[in-house]
Amino acid sequence: MSDKKNIDRLFQEKFKDFEIAPNDAVWNRINESLPKKKKKRRVIALWWQIGGVAAVIAILLTIGVSIFNSNDDNNQEFPIVSTDKTDTENIQGEEKINNSAQDKLSNEADRIKFVDSDTNNENTIEEQENIAPKRGNTSSQLTSSNTTKLNTVVANKSNEKEKTSSSQKRNSITSVSNEDNITKIATNTKTTLTNSKNSDDSQLETETEIKSLIKKTIEENKTAITENSSSNNSESNTTDSEIKNRDDSKTENSIIEDPKKQSITNAIVENTKTIDEKEEDKQNRWSIAPNVAPVYYSSLGQGSALDKQFNENSKNGNINMSYGIVGSYAISKKLKLRGGVNRVNLSQTTSDVYAFTGAETAARGIDAQFGNIKFKEDIPTISLMSSKMLDMTSAPEVFNTKIAGDIDQKFGFIEVPLELEYRLVDKKFGINVIGGFSTFFLSNNEIYADIEGVSTLIGEANNINDTSFSANLGLGMDYKLSKQWNINLEPTFKYQINTFNNTSGDFKPFFVGVYTGLSYKF
Amino acid sequence: MSLEQLINKCKKQDAQAQSQLYKQFASKLFSLCLKYSKNYAEAEDNLHDAFITVFGKIDQYNNKGSFEGWLKRIAINTSLQRYRENVGVYDIINEGNIEDVSIDINDESLNIDFLLKIIQELPDRYRLVFNLYVLDGYSHVEISELINISTGTSKSNLARARLILKDKIEDYRANLSSQSL
Repeated sequence: MSDKKNIDRLFQEKFKDFEIAPNDAVWNRINESLPKKKKKRRVIALWWQIGGVAAVIAILLTIGVSIFNSNDDNNQEFPIVSTDKTDTENIQGEEKINNSAQDKLSNEADRIKFVDSDTNNENTIEEQENIAPKRGNTSSQLTSSNTTKLNTVVANKSNEKEKTSSSQKRNSITSVSNEDNITKIATNTKTTLTNSKNSDDSQLETETEIKSLIKKTIEENKTAITENSSSNNSESNTTDSEIKNRDDSKTENSIIEDPKKQSITNAIVENTKTIDEKEEDKQNRWSIAPNVAPVYYSSLGQGSALDKQFNENSKNGNINMSYGIVGSYAISKKLKLRGGVNRVNLSQTTSDVYAFTGAETAARGIDAQFGNIKFKEDIPTISLMSSKMLDMTSAPEVFNTKIAGDIDQKFGFIEVPLELEYRLVDKKFGINVIGGFSTFFLSNNEIYADIEGVSTLIGEANNINDTSFSANLGLGMDYKLSKQWNINLEPTFKYQINTFNNTSGDFKPFFVGVYTGLSYKF
Repeated sequence: MSLEQLINKCKKQDAQAQSQLYKQFASKLFSLCLKYSKNYAEAEDNLHDAFITVFGKIDQYNNKGSFEGWLKRIAINTSLQRYRENVGVYDIINEGNIEDVSIDINDESLNIDFLLKIIQELPDRYRLVFNLYVLDGYSHVEISELINISTGTSKSNLARARLILKDKIEDYRANLSSQSL
């Protein structure tokens, strides 16, 4: 007995701590054999990935667009700044002069007067401009002048140019006449203008018809003033040497570089326009668009969602309607994020199907079990069979008397799209590229047998997932009716993912819709 | 991560947890499978099947009792399952009742590879009974239920297994001593 125990103990002791690692290949095999997680989860994971990619693209586009726009802004701002310097130097100069004048009030009485005249001038200029169009002046610049100060400045300058280009002598004279009109200025021109007052008056009397000249004189007042100021400055030993230089250069520029100024004025006009547009964009980031679309449902590959025997049957997608509402938010000028809710109905007809009911089925011994169709309970036993399955030469007699019918599969979803819209052409007629995905919630699911002209509801498909997805790609066109209303037309391709559980053959469903709608910005 | 957390994750079919659980217990279970199998390849197959069962039925492990014991039972059952499937394929020597044989084992230097080899070389049922009874502590009653034999057959199978092992060990020692001479 003891010996017997010995052999047991020998093995027990030897094997007590016996461990040996298996080959890695074993784990690989196990890993492959393990049931994978549910398909849905992987699809969701796929969406996360796609969503991630879309988010990255959106972020990159946003950054790119914002950088692009900011560059634009800079470019646009530069002319503004430069024009401010050159064009509005008069004003700046005046302001500076104001300061300097205030500093040296006691010493330079002329300046004080001048300052007064400046302020008066500005006001009166505006007033006169308003009056000018009433007088029926044909100068386009004045009539087009906006109410904003910028524009008036521009107009003034252009007028200045015209004047300066016409004749300097005239300018001096006409400017004086303006000042005459402005009674307040009269006080200003004690130094040199007082003398010219009389001449101005005379000129006005003689030239009553020249209303356009009046406008010019308004603007010329300014230049005259600046000239005055510059001369004043030069006379007085002011510390504002910069101001002098500027003023000098300004006046010179205004006289010599007429075309330049015009281009600058154009730039200013454009700037104001773009500024206006931006303000509009900021105001109208949101929009909402009810839409309606005919949708056509089909499959990319040859296959059937019903049963494998129908793989080769001819199938016709039917045209149904989708309708819904889409809201969008403009992330940037070019990029919009949109989401919404759509009701979409799809249907497909499978042709060349024989249907048998009741006794016929039993007699033929045909398997009534259809994997993907859940038959209604009150329907008598029914069996469907593809005519492709039959060799007509050897088919039983019954088939010769039968007429092949159709199966209509109809299903509907509530679609929740989430898409990005990138604007390619941004004019009155716009073009967008639209990409994104939709989540579908099954809302309707019916299968009809259309036999010998009679359509009967026979049941529903049991392989349509309650939740499915689609990848969307579309081209959007819109036409701007007004600032707030757009007409949209968006042919969109939607590739369905995870719609069916158990399809047969190469069944890749998709649908195409032409979404038409009216969008309202707010 | 504690073993309990690991098990809970495996219950959720967490792939990473499954991999970790495998790494933690593969060696122990593989040694077990080696003892119960007639060769290395079959042991690998049994280990594979055992882990598939483990991951598939881990929901049924109720966190009571030793998890390692639960794993071992599954591995042993997997090995026995293969035997049950193959009953009839292998000829089983007809048993009479054989009395226990005393074996004199003094040599403690026998290496484990040799011992494993001679266990694997045993006829299937002898190997199962010997493993179950000697190495894994099953009683003859339990064994008789597990592999559907009588307790008497279990006992005689065990005795024959011991005899065969003793012979092989003695031959081995004789070879060793003759070689050394």
